[in-house]
Amino acid sequence: MAINKQHAIDPDKCTACTICITACPVTAATRKFRGPKMTGPALTRLRKLVSDDDPMLDYCSNCKTCDLVCPSGVPISTLNMMAKNEYYKTHPRKSKADDMLAHSEKMGKLITALPLGSTFANLGVSIGKAFNMMGAMGITKDAKMPSYASESFISKFKKIKQTSYPRKVVFFSGCYINYNQPEVGVDLVKVYQKNKIEVAIDENFVCCGSPMVSGGYIDDARVNAAKNTAILKAWVDKGYDIVTACTSCGLMLKQEYQELFDFAGMSEYAAHMYDSIEYLAKLNDEGSFNTDFTPINKKYIYHAPCHLKVQAIGRPSMELLPLIPGIKIEEADAGCCGISGSYGFKADKHEIAMKVGSKLFARIKDSGADLGVSECGTCRLQMENGSGVEAIHPLTVLRRAYGL
Amino acid sequence: MLKTTVVVIGGGATGVGILRDLSMRGIKAILVERDDLGYWTSSRFHGLLHSGGRYAVKDKEAAKECIQENTILRRIGHHCVEATESIFVRTPEDSEEFEQEWVKSCKECGISAIPLPMDKAFELEPNLSHKILSAYRCPGAAIDGFRLLWQTVASADKYGGKTMTYTEVTGIETVNGTVSGVKIRDKWTGREDKIACDFVISAAGSFAGQVAHMAGLTVNVKPSKGTLIAFNHRICNRVIHRLHKSSDADIFVPHGSITILGTSSIDSAPDDTSTETAEVTAMMEIGKLTFEHIYDYRILRVFAGTRPLYSADPNAKGRSASRGFVALDHAHDGIKHFMSVCGGKFTTYRLMAEKVCDMVCEQLGVNEKCHTADENLVEDPSPELMGRAKAVFPSYGAELAASRLGNRKLEHVIERIESKPEMRELVCECENVTLAEIEEIAAEPTSHTVSDLRRRTRLGMGTCQGTFCAYRSVGAVDKEEMPWAKDTVYLFKEFLETRWKGIRPVLWGNMLRDIELTRAIYDAALNLSGVEEIK
Repeated sequence: MAINKQHAIDPDKCTACTICITACPVTAATRKFRGPKMTGPALTRLRKLVSDDDPMLDYCSNCKTCDLVCPSGVPISTLNMMAKNEYYKTHPRKSKADDMLAHSEKMGKLITALPLGSTFANLGVSIGKAFNMMGAMGITKDAKMPSYASESFISKFKKIKQTSYPRKVVFFSGCYINYNQPEVGVDLVKVYQKNKIEVAIDENFVCCGSPMVSGGYIDDARVNAAKNTAILKAWVDKGYDIVTACTSCGLMLKQEYQELFDFAGMSEYAAHMYDSIEYLAKLNDEGSFNTDFTPINKKYIYHAPCHLKVQAIGRPSMELLPLIPGIKIEEADAGCCGISGSYGFKADKHEIAMKVGSKLFARIKDSGADLGVSECGTCRLQMENGSGVEAIHPLTVLRRAYGL
Repeated sequence: MLKTTVVVIGGGATGVGILRDLSMRGIKAILVERDDLGYWTSSRFHGLLHSGGRYAVKDKEAAKECIQENTILRRIGHHCVEATESIFVRTPEDSEEFEQEWVKSCKECGISAIPLPMDKAFELEPNLSHKILSAYRCPGAAIDGFRLLWQTVASADKYGGKTMTYTEVTGIETVNGTVSGVKIRDKWTGREDKIACDFVISAAGSFAGQVAHMAGLTVNVKPSKGTLIAFNHRICNRVIHRLHKSSDADIFVPHGSITILGTSSIDSAPDDTSTETAEVTAMMEIGKLTFEHIYDYRILRVFAGTRPLYSADPNAKGRSASRGFVALDHAHDGIKHFMSVCGGKFTTYRLMAEKVCDMVCEQLGVNEKCHTADENLVEDPSPELMGRAKAVFPSYGAELAASRLGNRKLEHVIERIESKPEMRELVCECENVTLAEIEEIAAEPTSHTVSDLRRRTRLGMGTCQGTFCAYRSVGAVDKEEMPWAKDTVYLFKEFLETRWKGIRPVLWGNMLRDIELTRAIYDAALNLSGVEEIK
């Protein structure tokens, strides 16, 4: 379930206790970032007074660990994102990468609309890397970039024949699942059907705006928020619950919209929003979760994404996956992976991102696990990139356990 | 024994204004101040540079003086003035007749008062109460009292004016009914000395009666205490006045990173800077009419100062130089070359100084005219210097440090950081004060406590009210070349107790949570509990 976390966006609640600095993964990795307390509440007071250069702002990855640990409920990272947006109204961008990475939906649409577009795009990324074109764009040549699928999730979804059930959800797939990993969306539909849930989608949904906010394009995100809010509210009014399988989309839709914008209906639909695994855990609590599993004799290591942690919904994957017979699964509990959506793809941030994730990478390698598990698409990419161990969504694990 | 022409007693706005004026006219002068510059009335005020609008109806002369001086200070003191403008708002509680009279009066006084449509007013100041009925833009502004004083002294210094802080006047000497000198004592060393002089001007504000008493005279100053509430951030970006007959708690001033609401008016003793919870709650109730969500804003602290209101003694023979202030020539009371300056207001400090100095010059036979309105207090930093500053200061630090420090010290601080990059570390995160700046000010001969550093840099004046900068700043000054910083326990207690004084009356909500953190750090971790006695 969603927590209604409407904040007053002002710096008043910060008592300067400094716990956010001790928890910030970026501060720990680089001296270039003075930490959330300084860039968030402290400088918000001064920003009303002086205009000046603030290169530190760019180093906040919006992982939101600071918000999670703050005992005063200050929306620290949101203060940073709002300041970043203001900053870029009067300052030039460091690179072209910001625009591209913030508007992932535009890229996805462009590439998948072309015949064989994804093939060329994926090829292009490797060719681009070889000629250091990505470097010129401000994108690191060292990270494994997301690849594009040949068929979008929405297209695949339309071919799935579902059984109709009284329990219905609308699935907000988000850009990553729609354009990069549509099979995760298919996994969701299969697993939900197995649990007697009918899944609807809505082709009018647009990108949640999370990468836009992190990239300092809040005005673009506002346009998307207005569209999505109206659609989500209408589905909830029809009796549907909402699920996401990307923790950044989920956090954005149910919490960050309320911090950043003020559209009617936000808190009403947010009360019916769930992460896809959280929703299944709710079924489990109700005694209606299907545990008709075939054994999986594998060792997994689970990494909780920062954007899941900050939703304050516990670790639903660590409640459900251990129910699979034979499975060995442990939680990595090694902090942020460092990628933070698009942060780690930027040339000037890649090294920081890898340093942030180093504890997790070592933990995965040391665990001897066959596979990594995480709800977040870019976390999975970073886990693979940093440890060499393949990582999958918990829905994929469940689908395999159902033998589907 | 020191020797000069004029001794000025009192390092508030009036005193420093007189020192600068005399110095610029080529008259040798020494200013003596018992505490730090601006310790009393000149820091314990709103930080408001009046447009004159507040006085337009009841005192046109004062209103005209305000707008004239406002215009001058915006120019010569632009590093101390934040030219925000002000908005006068009429709430449903305020009379429409007064509004009409006020508009007419502003016009007569030459104060621009431009009607502001309410939708535009709410757009400019979104926190204003939506019950407000009308609004006008006036040229009010915010002014930093500490900064103005130090910059005025720096300007006087260029012309030979000398300033001695923490120097108490213990006696006024006369020969044949004419002033011949003053006896002084250094507050820190206890050393006594004399300054021989031809003229003494007492600009001791609320203490003017006590100073005059040393010469056996009576000056009837009636101090009136005003309490002010500092909020944690800028509730408004312009000064907000209530459009009614001037009253308590009807002005909000955005001051640096904070907002100040004031004030009350209570008869008191000259050194009464106490504040009570009841005063705060009474002011909040009135403030609510201007900002209806006032209880949602966090109070940072409260503070109080006294207005040195002059009450004319029926037997006094002094002459009034302005309705706002009086300059009493004690020749009428039997002591020549001794003058007391009372009353007035911060905004008109330069004009008051000019009028007093005209009178002094006449008696000393000096024909030089006043130049204080012609020259800026400090020069602007060059683009080269600002470029160097921006390269070394942390985010949002360069502009703030430049206006706090002035050119010469700014350059020193930049040099400190350039040679030792770790000097750019922040000692005070709330107000963005670097270690280099603390070291620079701490090395000044006028620095004796962390509170002295605070008045020069704004250290400790932000959200945490000294929690984190107290141990950092004491650590920063506890070194061989800082002889005043040997007793670190005293430094801690002096600084923390002054912070605590302003927090005690408002211990609720986040302030309470904040102070528990402070207590945990200083009491539990550092074993610094309370204070027995502060010098």
